Amino acid sequence: MAAGEGGVVAVEARDRFGITWQPALAAGILANLDRIDVVEVIAEEQFAASSRAARALETLAHQVPLLVHGVALGPASTAPVDSRRLDKLARLVDRVKPAFWSEHLACVRAGDIEIGHLAAAPRTRATIDATAANLARATSVVGSRPMVENIATLMEPPASDCSEADWVSSVVDSADCDLLLDLHNVYANSINFGFDPIAYLDRLDPERIGAIHLAGGCWMEGPPEGGPHVSGGPHASGGPHVAERRYLDDHLHDVPDPVYALLSEVGARVRRPLTVVLERDGRFPPMRDLLWQLDRAREALGEGRARLGRRGAACEERPQI
Amino acid sequence: MRPEFEAFLARLYTDAPLRARFLADPRAESARHQLTAEECDALERIDRVGLEFSARSFAHKRALKRGARSWWDSLRQLRRRSRNP
Repeated sequence: MAAGEGGVVAVEARDRFGITWQPALAAGILANLDRIDVVEVIAEEQFAASSRAARALETLAHQVPLLVHGVALGPASTAPVDSRRLDKLARLVDRVKPAFWSEHLACVRAGDIEIGHLAAAPRTRATIDATAANLARATSVVGSRPMVENIATLMEPPASDCSEADWVSSVVDSADCDLLLDLHNVYANSINFGFDPIAYLDRLDPERIGAIHLAGGCWMEGPPEGGPHVSGGPHASGGPHVAERRYLDDHLHDVPDPVYALLSEVGARVRRPLTVVLERDGRFPPMRDLLWQLDRAREALGEGRARLGRRGAACEERPQI
Repeated sequence: MRPEFEAFLARLYTDAPLRARFLADPRAESARHQLTAEECDALERIDRVGLEFSARSFAHKRALKRGARSWWDSLRQLRRRSRNP
């Protein structure tokens, strides 16, 4: 591996498949590094790590390429990102020298309120510009550009004036960042808001897609807290797709079949090497099941790549008119 | 998009009594927080079901984080006590 910009190490030119680091999976990951090409660590979990845990992470970084994944910066906001968080990210990236670092296109706090997780920003020109400005600042402080991830949302953000795919594309272009495309998030949003996930992929620039997240989820059943006032009434949002249940990206279930199908579609569009990461945060199955899901991902991406290759060959064979 | 609008959304996600008042009368509650007419219009059309599900999901995440912090704090307290009995 060669040193790249900032603390980031240059990526090797082939597809790579990996998994998110979880202490409960440590033994399984370390015993199967011949089948795991990369390991993703959650940045915020490392910020408060003991010196012993920090040394363990550096040891891990010598055994397998690491990816640093942020979950709490919240660049999709009109407010500037927190300098202290950026400094911590910069120190972590400098210490473990990941293949790349990434963050979500989300708002996680506003004013003095911590939302608690990743909220979708209203999709407008103003948030595109503000997000790009925050990502430029993050790039400057950390020393390398992050890949940015599309998020799952249970609610269409109010005051939006463009589709999610167009908003994500515009941010990626404006910020000059590559996309960490979370296919389960696309799948979940397509279920909840009634759009075609293939059409979503068609709106993205394939050259901007650098990495993939895979995960699973489950249905949240209604009525939600708050009781009967959430359904109907003069202010209810309309549309036949609005159901009183939503599909949640929970990282606690296996990757569903349609997400592998989407990975295949990505393979049929993207020529550059991709890093594919399986995210699993709990309800851990045996390691062999997770490795099997990585194998399925390899197959799915390979199938798409083969289609892309056949299309390319057919174009080359077509006689020039 | 103004920071005030973002902050109001964050409060809708995290403050159950405010959310209940808002869902009962979105325009009145939005106006009470000095939002613009355009912002009030957008909030009147809000995805109400999605708002409730989002609030529930965020509350769950905050509770998990509090749990993780308490676990870490109690461990540190135990270590401190064992060093300075």
